[in-house]
Amino acid sequence: MALRNTPRALDHAAAKKSAQNAALFGLLTRYSSFLLLIFGAVVFVIPFYVMLAIAFKSAKELGATEIWGWPKNPTFENFVYVWTNPNVSFWLFLKNTFVISTLGTLGVLFSSSVVAYGFARINFAGKDRLFLLLLSTMMLPGIVTMIPTFILYAKIGWVNSFLPMTVPAWFGGGAFNIFLLRQFYLGIPRELDEAAFLDGANYWTIFSRIILPLSGPALATVGIFAFIYNWKDLLGPLLYLNDPELQTNELGLSTYNSLQASQWHLVMAGSVIVMIPLVVLFFIGQKSFVKGIVMTGGK
Amino acid sequence: MKSLRFLFLLGMLFAAILARADITLRFTVWDGDESSNVLKKELAKFEAANPGVKVKFERSDFAQYFDKLLTQYAAGVAPDVVMMDPGNFQRFARRGALLELNKFYGDIPGFDIKGYYPSIVKAHSIKDSLYVLPRDIAPIAVVYYNKTLFQQEGIAFPSPDWTWDFTPHPEKGDKDFLTVLKKFQKLNAEGKPSRWGYVPGWNTLLVDLFFFSTGGRYVDDPEDPKVLKFDDPRLMKAYQFVSDLTLKDKVIPSSFDQAGTNARQMFTQGKVAMFHSGIWETPQLRKEISPVSEGGFEWDVAIAPAFAGGTRAYPTGGSGYGIMSSTKHPKEAWRLSEWMAGKQGMLAMAKAGIAQPAIRKYALMEPWIPGPNTPAEQQVPANRIITDQAEPFVVFPPTGILYNEAANLARQPEALVYTGDARADAVFPGSNKIGQNRLDVLRRELDLPPFNWTAAGILGILIAVVLGIWIYAPEFGKRRTSRQKRENLAGYLFIMPWLFGLTVFTAGPMILSLLMSFADWDIIQPARWRGFGNYTEAATVDPVFWKSLSVTLIYTLVSVPAGIVISLILALLLNMPIKGIPLWRTCYYIPAMASPIAGSLIWIKLFQPEGGLLNAVLLKIPGMLTLLGPLVGANGQVNWLQNEKTALPSLIIMSLFGAGGGMVILLASLQGVPTYYYEAATLDGANAWRKFKNVTIPMISPALFFSLITGFIGSFQVFTQAFQMTQGGPNNATMFFMLHLYNNAFRILRMGYASALAWVLFFVILIFTFIQLQGNKFVYYEGSDK
Repeated sequence: MALRNTPRALDHAAAKKSAQNAALFGLLTRYSSFLLLIFGAVVFVIPFYVMLAIAFKSAKELGATEIWGWPKNPTFENFVYVWTNPNVSFWLFLKNTFVISTLGTLGVLFSSSVVAYGFARINFAGKDRLFLLLLSTMMLPGIVTMIPTFILYAKIGWVNSFLPMTVPAWFGGGAFNIFLLRQFYLGIPRELDEAAFLDGANYWTIFSRIILPLSGPALATVGIFAFIYNWKDLLGPLLYLNDPELQTNELGLSTYNSLQASQWHLVMAGSVIVMIPLVVLFFIGQKSFVKGIVMTGGK
Repeated sequence: MKSLRFLFLLGMLFAAILARADITLRFTVWDGDESSNVLKKELAKFEAANPGVKVKFERSDFAQYFDKLLTQYAAGVAPDVVMMDPGNFQRFARRGALLELNKFYGDIPGFDIKGYYPSIVKAHSIKDSLYVLPRDIAPIAVVYYNKTLFQQEGIAFPSPDWTWDFTPHPEKGDKDFLTVLKKFQKLNAEGKPSRWGYVPGWNTLLVDLFFFSTGGRYVDDPEDPKVLKFDDPRLMKAYQFVSDLTLKDKVIPSSFDQAGTNARQMFTQGKVAMFHSGIWETPQLRKEISPVSEGGFEWDVAIAPAFAGGTRAYPTGGSGYGIMSSTKHPKEAWRLSEWMAGKQGMLAMAKAGIAQPAIRKYALMEPWIPGPNTPAEQQVPANRIITDQAEPFVVFPPTGILYNEAANLARQPEALVYTGDARADAVFPGSNKIGQNRLDVLRRELDLPPFNWTAAGILGILIAVVLGIWIYAPEFGKRRTSRQKRENLAGYLFIMPWLFGLTVFTAGPMILSLLMSFADWDIIQPARWRGFGNYTEAATVDPVFWKSLSVTLIYTLVSVPAGIVISLILALLLNMPIKGIPLWRTCYYIPAMASPIAGSLIWIKLFQPEGGLLNAVLLKIPGMLTLLGPLVGANGQVNWLQNEKTALPSLIIMSLFGAGGGMVILLASLQGVPTYYYEAATLDGANAWRKFKNVTIPMISPALFFSLITGFIGSFQVFTQAFQMTQGGPNNATMFFMLHLYNNAFRILRMGYASALAWVLFFVILIFTFIQLQGNKFVYYEGSDK
């Protein structure tokens, strides 16, 4: 269908010439895109470079030099301080954040993939308008629902626990993720479902045996997004967690950026520490973008 | 044996009763890492001295401290003892959320409120009622000076009787502020200064010093402001004077000169001889300044100069502890407050060099004043007595609840004065009028009827019913076959998790916020009925509403399409068979993984005019300076975040670094394009462009469509960058709709009005989404059954 407009066969001579042109053009685009890629990567990494440059500077050198110069005497002292400070235990924060992020991400993956299948593949009463309702839940600024939501969680005794950050993820997993997965499911040819139907499969079998295995890249995307979102979340933990033992990464970092003393070198060292797991996760997780190659419609 | 077990059980029971008898108090502050440690140690001592009382330490960042407190209070789970300051306690105290403390005075033998500095007690009181027990007072009159540099230049150390004036008085010698500044100034061959005599911790501090000591004040009544005075000639003169000292005379480093550092660091680097701030800089300076033997310098503190006219006045800070009225243990909470804001707590904080005790007696003795028992590393600064000497002259910021909102409007043009883009007397009369109008509107006490919850409840149910009817309207009268019925059931089973979550977690708060948009609700007191008043106020009275809507619209219309194009380019590039692809992808996704706290700090520095990376690179490109001509400020630089024309574009540039997220989605989508489509296209002789246009784009259109819709929804609600980096300035150029909404909700406690704003935004986004959904027919769904 998408190929409707492609030109028909050309005559032989013109085809040969165009093939040569195409080869040259291909080579040029390859090199220019490679250069573009390098340039872009350098630009995108600059903020991270600055973060590293500050993290490796001692407080004294930070005061005495340009902020983005690479430190003359790179030091691990900031990392050691942040890691060993008994009052702001990053080990504990990483553990808490990991628990929240993992539970939240699993919830999102489970429920958004199921709900998205319902919206993408099954006809039920009021589907289109319910979907609009789903989208509309993203449109109301969270600031005004923050207090009613907090009161709700306080009434059921969830304040000062991880429940407000993890349980709701199992019930829908967020409109954003449902919408994203629905878009992907819609790209999977229907012939597959119908063939399975004729073989006597039910909706759940089709979902778990056909749709899910074909959605590797999309699920990886949702999983990575959900994990990073939870990992970086400041507002949820800030509102719902009071005990020092329950605090998370971002709350820990904020202690070094207080009103009285903004200790940049410590903020940056801490940021690098909390970022490493994400980088590793992404590095590994993004392989599934490739692995999950969807031979859509392997007719 | 049996009796032993019985005894054991009895013992257990007893222990359980005892354990239950323990009272737990929750204590919360916004202190940072260092003072938190001091406080925690003191809390442990308090627990030891008060058996049966346990204290739970909590902290949150100042930026969100009050939001959290208000939310907790609304839900009935606020802490017992809370840190407060003069600028913020009123909005709690005036609404009955803080206990009046006077009635507790007699509970602790020997307690005497007269021992506290009167100014800080008054700053924490309304009339004669005290609501916050002061723990420290911090006159911002502390001039840290580099003794070594003074000696090298042969200039006398700042004396207690030195003065400042609008014109230099060389006859006074080193006792004249401007003369000393001129002496320290060092210019390089190009006429650019490389050393300065003095730097204020922040520009407005110097304005405050000049304005206050010439007798000016920002409002008529600091406790209950009715008249804003940002058009006071003395204030405009002070603003202009600061601007001229930095840009024209170049004797004070402008924010541009603070090349990628801050005022404190310029001082520790030896680039500036004096640094003006509060005493709280001390612990950090002790860490950053090396001893002379290691190439550092000797330093001390002096009191900031008086006005040549003879008057002296200093802006000031300070804080203390209040007791939330929701506490179940007021007596114990008072004992705790008195411990932390009494001898024990104060001396501990004084020892760490963090805060001057609010009780004068302790501010005059060791460890605050260095003596024979003071360890060597705590001996500097030696002249700490000046904080006591400055106290009679302190001026607290106005505390009225509505002041922040009005002053924020009136102060908007200050950035333009600092960059030399406008003269103070040309811009402040106008902005003062805007602020004053706003104050008048907000002050008009509305005699509103109480919020009718029964009616509201019925209305809420009605809304839910109407919504339900709308959803199922197309289904009425439809007949279903048994297969369709089964399908219907299956559909509902699949979306059940979401439906359940919607009903339980989301729908209630959403409907409640809609109801609140018809109310006047300050979070603390019961809501009152306002009808459509909030909506008409937004459209007709609010001076920022339309501006913030247009700022947000421009931001969205530029940043979303630009972001999608960049995401698409990146996704295509990173979908090529290149070596090390995982590494490349990670590079592009790194900005999206950085902690938001660190991110904003870094971006502020990247946009820094002088020495900022963006300018350093851009202005080196030949011809760029002429190209950017109209944007270049008086300092010959582009002042990205401080210039009205470039502030919003700067935030848009910053947003593009988030393109990695879109890239990931599009990459995943690209992976789903079957290769045989490309093979077929190649066989048909299609070139790269045709393949892109006729295969790639249609096949990934579902993901592009998704990026567009969610991009708009997210972008309309953008908040964090402006909140952390620009606070909506300069001149409201980055006043995003959400920032305005936030200010109303939490800064001036107009949650009802904020809810109305939120629902306006909801419908704006809804309209845009509707328009975009019309584009759904251009989206190609391989698996569509249409």
